[in-house]
Amino acid sequence: METIISAGIDIGTSTTQIVFSNITLENIASDYTVPQINIIDKEIIYKSDIYITPLLSEDEIDSVGLRGIIEKEYSKADISKSEVSTGAVIITGETARKKNAELISKEMSDLAGDFVVASAGPDLEAIIAAKGAGVDQLSKKENALVINFDIGGGTTNIAVFDSGEIIDTACFDLGGRLIKIDDNKKIHHVSEKLKKLAESLNVELEQGREIAVHELEVLADKMADILTEILFAEVKSDDYIYLITNHDLKKKYNPDYISFSGGVADYIGNQSHQDNYDKYNDLGIILGEKITESPLYKENNIFNAEETIRATVVGAGSHTTNISGSTITYTSDILPLKNIPAVKIDENEINSEAEFKTAVKQKMNWYNLEDGHQAAALALKGKKNYSFAEITSLAEMIIEAEEEIVESDFPLIVILEHDAAKVLGQTLNRILDHKKSIVSLDGIKINDGDYIDIGKPLAGGKVLPVIIKTLIFDN
Amino acid sequence: MINEKDLTEIVERVIEELEKEESREAVDQAVKREAKSNNDEIVDITDVDLKKQFLVDNPENREAFLKLKESTSARLGVGRAGPRYKTETLLRFRADHAAAMDAVFTDVSDQLIDDMNLFKVKTLCRDKDEYLKRPDLGKKFSDETLAEISNKCEKNPQVQIYAADGLSSTAVEANLKDIFPAIKQGLEGYNIKIGTPFFVQYGRVASMEPIAKCLNAKVCCVLIGERPGLATAESLSCYMAYDAEIGMPESKRNVISNIHADGTPAVEAGAHIADVIKAMLEQKTSGLDLDI
Repeated sequence: METIISAGIDIGTSTTQIVFSNITLENIASDYTVPQINIIDKEIIYKSDIYITPLLSEDEIDSVGLRGIIEKEYSKADISKSEVSTGAVIITGETARKKNAELISKEMSDLAGDFVVASAGPDLEAIIAAKGAGVDQLSKKENALVINFDIGGGTTNIAVFDSGEIIDTACFDLGGRLIKIDDNKKIHHVSEKLKKLAESLNVELEQGREIAVHELEVLADKMADILTEILFAEVKSDDYIYLITNHDLKKKYNPDYISFSGGVADYIGNQSHQDNYDKYNDLGIILGEKITESPLYKENNIFNAEETIRATVVGAGSHTTNISGSTITYTSDILPLKNIPAVKIDENEINSEAEFKTAVKQKMNWYNLEDGHQAAALALKGKKNYSFAEITSLAEMIIEAEEEIVESDFPLIVILEHDAAKVLGQTLNRILDHKKSIVSLDGIKINDGDYIDIGKPLAGGKVLPVIIKTLIFDN
Repeated sequence: MINEKDLTEIVERVIEELEKEESREAVDQAVKREAKSNNDEIVDITDVDLKKQFLVDNPENREAFLKLKESTSARLGVGRAGPRYKTETLLRFRADHAAAMDAVFTDVSDQLIDDMNLFKVKTLCRDKDEYLKRPDLGKKFSDETLAEISNKCEKNPQVQIYAADGLSSTAVEANLKDIFPAIKQGLEGYNIKIGTPFFVQYGRVASMEPIAKCLNAKVCCVLIGERPGLATAESLSCYMAYDAEIGMPESKRNVISNIHADGTPAVEAGAHIADVIKAMLEQKTSGLDLDI
């Protein structure tokens, strides 16, 4: 048994938070079989205060302020950077669109620990928040279709899980902090998209104007309508389409449950709260109340999220790290590897060796930047029970298809779903005369275009921690 | 408004249609069945993947049950015919039992032994019946046999690997061709020298002891058929020991078991076994003392 510390840092539109978790690994196989290291427990050991995300201006994050928050919380938790084995810094919501977001997330990940990955992007945020809310587990346990709405300050991230598997995500520019007011109810800041939306509602959102409660209600009502459209509208309205951040859901779903996370979730279905609508000087509380009155809330089975405002940070801290299969092959001195794009080939759609090579080469070429190559990983489903002859020909095919990587200084990285990575790695090593750095992993499901980070070995070298990032900085 | 008479007529017509529909389906099925039995051999019921078979009538949630079945080879969700098994379940049970019996009582084919360039020796057992009744004889060889092994094999190997039928010849047939080259490749990758492989008929695990002594092998490794069960008759084990001695305690041996198509794949097990053997040579020990 081995326990590692994982850090999660969420830098969102409105709030910044940190959590630390203990992740416990154990060999669950008997002594009479090949090892099988699993994550057997995740426990949050520290939750930070909830900070307002420090900004220098409306489009720039205050890196000094952020650094101060992180250093202070690490010392309060009495955890040093070197003790943190894994984790994620995620810049979410509108903050991800600030001009220095990418730089900041890298800086913060260095500050947080050697293998704390930096990431952002609405798809990943949706998945992480849903996992933090416990939606993946519910979906798996009940074999159900569950949709999580993570409603934050700037965005609403939607993730659809079916039988425990993520099947769809979407993101909308809807949130509790698209409008900020000051203590005198005067408008302090309004997002561009909300301004446009307000035009058709006859609400004037000029800066400095005093705004009435009923006007905020009109805006919140409209937002709740648009969220309702996600599940109920046959034809989507123009406003709906206008508020899509990157893409809509692929289709209309009929969920067994829906759940809400994010800051606004604390005010959804919560009639007994005693807070004044202007407690946070924004739209959040009213938006929560309007969603409670909407068909989205009333006509669905509601699952009470395990975490609301902390869902994303808990997801980042506890649910981003995966563990590879326990029989694998790797060259250890090249780890960790960060930000490796994955090229996924579906062998079931490949009919010949030539076709396989063409498909791999073509996709690998997408990542050949002008200044040479970039290390891309080849992801295959693999099959359950290869013969030795099949493994040999698979290895030969991979080497031929990836000749450019083989000749470059980049490691040859192969990721399989089914258990065959150790023998495949040893076969690659034999054919390449043990002269090439390789990483051959299994037990990892990854999609075309995902990015992965592969950390330093755990559990006596049997497994590697892997973080799958669904998209980094969706420009 | 529809009056009662019209309504009755409509209902009657609908029922008539439904009945037609049903009988048409039944005819279709019968035709298909007939066509099948005319064209093909009788379907092999052991070809059905039990984890995907679900025989409960009118289940509340078929998908959820099938999901549970993915994690076990137990015969769940078989339904029932009154208080008994359905015919299909009973036949399958007996077919699997027969496969287990066959695995014990057949021999590993000469074809496989030839294909893999092995030579064949026997323990002191004269036949399978004696092998089953006299476990002590399954770990001993005659002096002539030991002399033959000594003559045909390289002496003092770092690792001696051989195969034995054990309680399932089927397991050896199913896995040896894949596991042996995987172990060999793994060991060669670590620059570890392997001795001359061969095959032992009527062999038990402890047959490794006289073999290790005879050849003076550092690590001795036997690939042996496991006692078959109803889930599979193809499961192979790999027993290994460092400096094996005659009468050594079981705690000095390591084993990787459950090597078959639905367990650990043979090629991947082979790759892992190479690591275990490497650890034995490095740590100069085996069994419970080995740190892996």
